[in-house]
Amino acid sequence: MAKQKSGRRVVVTGLGAVTPIGTTVAEFWDGLKAGKSGVSEIEGFPREDLKILIAAQIKNFDHKARLKHFKRDRIISLADRYSWFAAVAADEAVRMSGLEMPIADPYRSACIIGSGAGGLVTFETAYRDLFIEKKKATHPLTLLRIIGSSAAAHVGIEFGVKGPTFATCSACSTASHAIGLARDYIRDGMVDVAIAGASESVINYGTMKAWQALHVLSPEGCFPFAKKRNGTVLAEGAGILVLESYEHAKDRGATILAELSGFGMASDSQDMVKPTVEGPSVAMRNALDDAGIGPGDIDYLNAHGTATADNDINETKAIKAVFNSHAEKLAISSTKSMHGHPLGAGGGIEAVACIKAMLHGWVPPTIGLDEPGEGCDLDYIPNVGRDKKVTYAMSNSFAFGGLNAVLVFGPPPV
Amino acid sequence: MDDVATKITDILKKHMKEPRDDISPDTALTDLKIESLDLAMIVFDIEDGFGIEIPYNANEDVEDFKTVGSVVERVKSLIAAKGASAAKA
Repeated sequence: MAKQKSGRRVVVTGLGAVTPIGTTVAEFWDGLKAGKSGVSEIEGFPREDLKILIAAQIKNFDHKARLKHFKRDRIISLADRYSWFAAVAADEAVRMSGLEMPIADPYRSACIIGSGAGGLVTFETAYRDLFIEKKKATHPLTLLRIIGSSAAAHVGIEFGVKGPTFATCSACSTASHAIGLARDYIRDGMVDVAIAGASESVINYGTMKAWQALHVLSPEGCFPFAKKRNGTVLAEGAGILVLESYEHAKDRGATILAELSGFGMASDSQDMVKPTVEGPSVAMRNALDDAGIGPGDIDYLNAHGTATADNDINETKAIKAVFNSHAEKLAISSTKSMHGHPLGAGGGIEAVACIKAMLHGWVPPTIGLDEPGEGCDLDYIPNVGRDKKVTYAMSNSFAFGGLNAVLVFGPPPV
Repeated sequence: MDDVATKITDILKKHMKEPRDDISPDTALTDLKIESLDLAMIVFDIEDGFGIEIPYNANEDVEDFKTVGSVVERVKSLIAAKGASAAKA
C-alpha cells in the first residue's frame, strides 16, 4: 500500500501516441501486441553517402487530415513535422480525457511539451537553401518552425492553455522530465490540468551523419539486451499525457487511467556518453520513494533499453542495484525494439506503453532477443508479450550527458 | 489586370484563409484579413516569384502595402530597378 506523500495526487486521464508502429494509441498498442518492428529503409531524402541506411520513420503521415479540425491555431499545418506529431498526440490525449478545453480557468492549465532538438529538419532545409541553393531568404516561418518551444506553443494555443507553457530539453529523457515537472505543478497546486510529453522528428541527412560519426547506430536493427545488438536505431514520434489533480478528475467524473505515483531524477555528472550505475539507480530509487512504494511493488519495467553496448549492460546493473532479489522476478522490456529510439519523445511513448500494459494486464515484449548479451541476464520478456497483472509500472529514461528521469505509474486512487 | 497584378493576386489568394475573387487594385490588404505573419509569407513568395528583394520591416506600417494596387506598383518599380541595374552592369 502506497504511503501518502505530501501534496495533491495526480492522475492520467488521456494518452496520445504517434509512433513508427502506429499513429494513434490504439494502433500503437496493436503494434506492440503484434511485436511489430517500425524499422525500415530510410526514405524521403537523398541518402547520398550515408552508411547507416535504416531508421524507424513514420511513413505516409497525413498531417493535414489529422490537424484539419484545429480551430485556434491557424498555422499548425505549416509548422515543423515535430510540432505536427506533438499536436496530433496532444489532440488524441485531450479527446481521450474528455476535457473541455480551454478549462474554466485557463491559467490553471499547463502545457509542457519538450523536444531534444526541435525543428532540426527545418534547420537543414533552410541552410541548404542558403548555403547550397544560394537563395536570398529562408522561408518566413523558418524561425518559428525551428524553435524548440514551438510544439508547446502550438498545442497551448489550440487548447487555450494560459498557465505554464514551455519545452523541456534533456536529450532522451526530455519527455519524462516534462511529465514529471507537470506532475509537480499539479501536486503543488499551481495548476489542475496539464498536457505533457515530448515530440521528436530529426531524421534527415545531417542528423544521420552526426549520429553515424558517434558510431552508436546499428546498420541492422534495434535489438536491446541481445548478444547481436550493435547500436540503436533512430526513430521519430510523440508521446503525450493529459494529467489532472485527482480531485479535478473525480469532480468531473473522468475515467482515470492511472495515477502518476512517482517521479525521480538524478544526473551522473560524470561523462557525456559513458553512463554510471549510480545515477540511474538513484533516479529509480527516488521515483520509488516518491511513490511511497518499494522495489518489490513494481510489476513491469519499461527499460530505457537502447540496444547500445553500454546502455543495456549498465541499465541491467542499475536495475539489480535497486531491485536486489526482485530483479529476477521483474518483467522488463524495451519497446524500443519495436518503435526504435524516438530520442526526446521516448519517455512519453513508453509512458503510454506502461499505462496500456496496466489497463490490459499484458506486458509488451523485447523483440529480436534470440540470445541475450553478456551481462544481460534478467527477464526482458523475449520476443512474445505475456499476460500479467500490472499494478505498478516504472519507465526509465537515461540520456546522453547522464541525465536520468524515471516515472512510476500506479492504479487509480480509490 | 496585367501579368504582375495577376501573379500577385494569386499569391495573395494562396495566403488568405477565405480566398475571394473580387480583389481589385483598390482593395485594402486589411480587408483581406492579412496579418503580419501572412504578409511575411506573401513577401517571401513575391520575392521568390519575381526575383526581387522587397525591403520592409514588420514593425513598421508600410505605405506600399496599403492596397493591392500599391503592392503591384512597388513590385513593378523594383523589377524596373533590377532591369536598369542589370542593363548597366
